[in-house]
Amino acid sequence: MLECSELYFNVDHGFLEGLVRGCKASLLTQQDYINLAQCETLEDLKIHLQTTDYGNFLANQTNPLTVSKIDTEMRKRLCREFYYFRNNSLEPLSTFFTYMTCSYMIDNVILLMNGALQKKSVKEILVKCHPLGRFTEMEAVNIAETPSDLFNAVLVETPLAPFFQDCMSENTLDELNIELLRNKLYKSYLEAFYKFCKNHGDVTAEVMCPILEFEADRRAFIITLNSFGTELSKEDRETLYPTIGKLCPEGLRLLAQAEDFDQMKRVADHYGVYKPLFEAVGGNGGKTLEDVFYEHEVQINVLAFNRQFHYGVFYAYVKLKEQEMRNIVWIAECISQRHRTKINSYIPIL
Amino acid sequence: MAAPDLRAQLDSLLLQLFRDLEELEAKRAVLNARVEEGWLSLAKARYAMGAKSVGPLQYASRMEPQACVHVSEAQDGLQEFRVVRPGAQTPEEVGPREAASFSLSLLPGLRRRKGPTRPPEPSEAPQDPLNWFGILVPHSLRQAQASFWDGLQLAADIASLQNRIEWGRSQLQGLQEKLKLEPRAA
Repeated sequence: MLECSELYFNVDHGFLEGLVRGCKASLLTQQDYINLAQCETLEDLKIHLQTTDYGNFLANQTNPLTVSKIDTEMRKRLCREFYYFRNNSLEPLSTFFTYMTCSYMIDNVILLMNGALQKKSVKEILVKCHPLGRFTEMEAVNIAETPSDLFNAVLVETPLAPFFQDCMSENTLDELNIELLRNKLYKSYLEAFYKFCKNHGDVTAEVMCPILEFEADRRAFIITLNSFGTELSKEDRETLYPTIGKLCPEGLRLLAQAEDFDQMKRVADHYGVYKPLFEAVGGNGGKTLEDVFYEHEVQINVLAFNRQFHYGVFYAYVKLKEQEMRNIVWIAECISQRHRTKINSYIPIL
Repeated sequence: MAAPDLRAQLDSLLLQLFRDLEELEAKRAVLNARVEEGWLSLAKARYAMGAKSVGPLQYASRMEPQACVHVSEAQDGLQEFRVVRPGAQTPEEVGPREAASFSLSLLPGLRRRKGPTRPPEPSEAPQDPLNWFGILVPHSLRQAQASFWDGLQLAADIASLQNRIEWGRSQLQGLQEKLKLEPRAA
């Protein structure tokens, strides 16, 4: 690939890059968040959101307004923007967008399978699936009994097909195996996405590869943290770690042996990026590891906008928008539960 | 019975009643705090896992209770309520209690069991509700479960206390009637 994207990028992708930068400029500011945090009810929140770029997106919602409805409408809005980008894109940006939707598809497949386990109707679950991860074979997911069934009958035509390599087994799908399936699928997906970005080269690789490496390491840490005290064995745990991050291979081997948070922290202390993150956990703000990771993710995604002529801006915009949605949902939950002590625990973006 | 004795009894009953009321207030405050904490931890779990991953989609409409209310008679004829686990390690659900004057309608309502403790469950132990949300759940979800379980224990205590207070009040009224009927001391 010629290393001079400045000359060729705008021909195919200039319009979309301009558009996404405009969308990024309309993310909520610190002042907007302060106004939202001062609302007393969800109706107030709706009125405040009308003054931002969100506009009247809740106008058609019947009373009473719930946090779940707000979240669904925000997702739909993001989906509309994303599909506009995707419909106007050319290769290889279109493949990049397909990769971005795969993570949501994985979540939807797992949601449908869990619903089948709980004997829920498919229609009920389809409504709650993430719109970005919609694919035509979704309704048939619940008939599958084993991962190989799932693959052969349902997913072989979808973009998720290549990620099933390590997941084919004859185990019936119960909670443990569904969780293992989710994490293995995600690991394959992340590794494939990383390879795509690296092969693309140029500024996209320079921007996206560190982002994806952080995502891989973050998953390794969170899987380890959440597996303490569960029935997941250490060997199983190690198979779920994505191998594209900074932690591979020594860090992952050490993490697989960790048995509590302090041991995990000692592993993180070997890495200059992760040591300060772990030190920020706890403290007087009561920050959890997930909070700290989300903050770091926001920082690196905002930095993606400092470079031009690469695809990372699209990925970064969607991730920042998701963080904004998480912030709004958090503020809405605090308002609806009338528990305002932690209402300022959102992560400001701009 | 002589009037001074009655009066002494009345006084001690009144004091006991006030003590019970104070305990009730304290326990109610703690219960409210626990339930609020539980709901906030659920919101934190939604923040970490995604808003649709912690919600009614994740559980079936029929479920096995993890906690049973055991009603027993104390020596003064009062009913005492205790929450017992039918053999499971970590519980979450609650069965609505009939004597409690408030309802924990926030938690999934289920069939309730009353009566002496059942014999040990013959089939497998009820599944930990935490597993509805996956095997690898964030810490906030576990905290939510712990808060709700504490709230459960408190709810049983509050129900017993309320019973005692009702009984105390009726005793008090009875004694006051008797005192009225007593001939006035010369």
